[in-house]
Amino acid sequence: MMTVLERINAELGELSKEVQKSLVRVSSGERGEGAGTIWHAEGLILTNAHVVLNDDIRVTLPDGVRKKATLLAMDRELDLAALAVEAWDLPTIDLGSSDSMQAGEWVIAFGHPWGVNGAATAGVFIGQGRTVQERPQWGREWLAVSLHYRPGHSGGPLVDVNGNLIGINTVMVGPDVGLAVPIHAVKRFLKENLNSI
Amino acid sequence: MAEVIQEMSAGLAKLVEAAQAVVVRVDGRRRLSATGIVWSEDGVIVTANHVLRRDNKLRVGLADGSKIDAELIGRDPTTDLAALRIKSAGLETPNWGKPSDLQIGHIVLALGRPGKSVQATLGIISALGGTWRTPAGGQVENYLQTDVIMYPGFSGGPLLSVEGSVLGLNTSAIRGVSVSLPTTTLQRVVESLLAHGRVRRGYLGVGIQAVKLPQSLVEELGQETGLLVVSVEPDSPADEAGITLGDTILAMDENVIEQMDDLLAALGHERVGTETMLQLLRGGEKLERSVKIGER
Repeated sequence: MMTVLERINAELGELSKEVQKSLVRVSSGERGEGAGTIWHAEGLILTNAHVVLNDDIRVTLPDGVRKKATLLAMDRELDLAALAVEAWDLPTIDLGSSDSMQAGEWVIAFGHPWGVNGAATAGVFIGQGRTVQERPQWGREWLAVSLHYRPGHSGGPLVDVNGNLIGINTVMVGPDVGLAVPIHAVKRFLKENLNSI
Repeated sequence: MAEVIQEMSAGLAKLVEAAQAVVVRVDGRRRLSATGIVWSEDGVIVTANHVLRRDNKLRVGLADGSKIDAELIGRDPTTDLAALRIKSAGLETPNWGKPSDLQIGHIVLALGRPGKSVQATLGIISALGGTWRTPAGGQVENYLQTDVIMYPGFSGGPLLSVEGSVLGLNTSAIRGVSVSLPTTTLQRVVESLLAHGRVRRGYLGVGIQAVKLPQSLVEELGQETGLLVVSVEPDSPADEAGITLGDTILAMDENVIEQMDDLLAALGHERVGTETMLQLLRGGEKLERSVKIGER
């Protein structure tokens, strides 16, 4: 009989392996280095606008293949960018929703903190909305999570315990609070800019 | 309601309770004590090198509250490990785990004993990898990164799996990332410290700097860089072999030397005392010199 801890452990291991399949590396310019999330199988990749520093964008797919990417749409205000690479049948993460997330639920972020490839970091969901205590002037929609984003996490997936995508890792605001762009904001961004979905 | 969380919570508490006897306090610096792990039942303790700011007046605090004077067996600054001995018998020892059983996402606990009682923090395995080299040149067999928060004094403590086995020794967190030294590295370093009081390394006696090679050589050799010799210590193995300032090291036996790391890797303990062929570039000409690798 496995203990609850061992079962949780095994599930977290499996979940991480799944999510990592849709995690890419994005580099642009001399210092632009971040993560990206495969949005659909035919090469649409999502990342943060602050990762994209110039037109020379390269995406490293999970299998190590490096591809040139084109910028489809970018919104500096939302801090989102949509990229396209020539690839097909890429693995995607099931989309979740942050609407039903409650404070205290577990979330896991994936990225390349300080250049370490495909690392996982766990924390709990703090809350969501437009008002972020640490940044009252922002007025954008955010998910707040108690985990440590590092340089290299930006643009990577934030998932719930089912492994479903609920946000895009974006920025730290204070020593222990990370902010992610919620998935409904990403969908709206793609709809307005690419007429997708 | 909340049965799983309760069971998990109780399970974590049980793990800490079961493992706390192998977690000891180490007093080796002012103000802030650190943590160590019991290595053997006859009193060997392993800890982080950087928490021992002195060589004597070291003390170890056991789980039962007793404080015992400790003697330094040896240190390896390159891996940030040190071993101590206390006069004690019948100590409880850890179950050692292997990194091969681990996956990214697995739950782990970091334990520390900077004070009287054991302390714990919870996290997951963030990243796993193969052999790497510390900035100080020490070899570590596996890369093991977690998101556990390391409180002050946690250095030298164990990283615990949910099966209750010790996966590694936590060194200080660098840039908010916690790195642990895996059991294979602990085993190798502690055994060397017990046998020699230090970790043996090969020694050449040169100061070096990586430099780009001329394009013609890049094509001929298939390597981009070599190591320019910028200093030679008098009477060192390099000096005796006739290596001089301005030589560029290209290879050591079959090992191509492009970066500092390559040379460090080629100067492992197994090389000590062996005759090794160095390929050099001097004034645009390739030449070979035989060097008897020394020891440091």
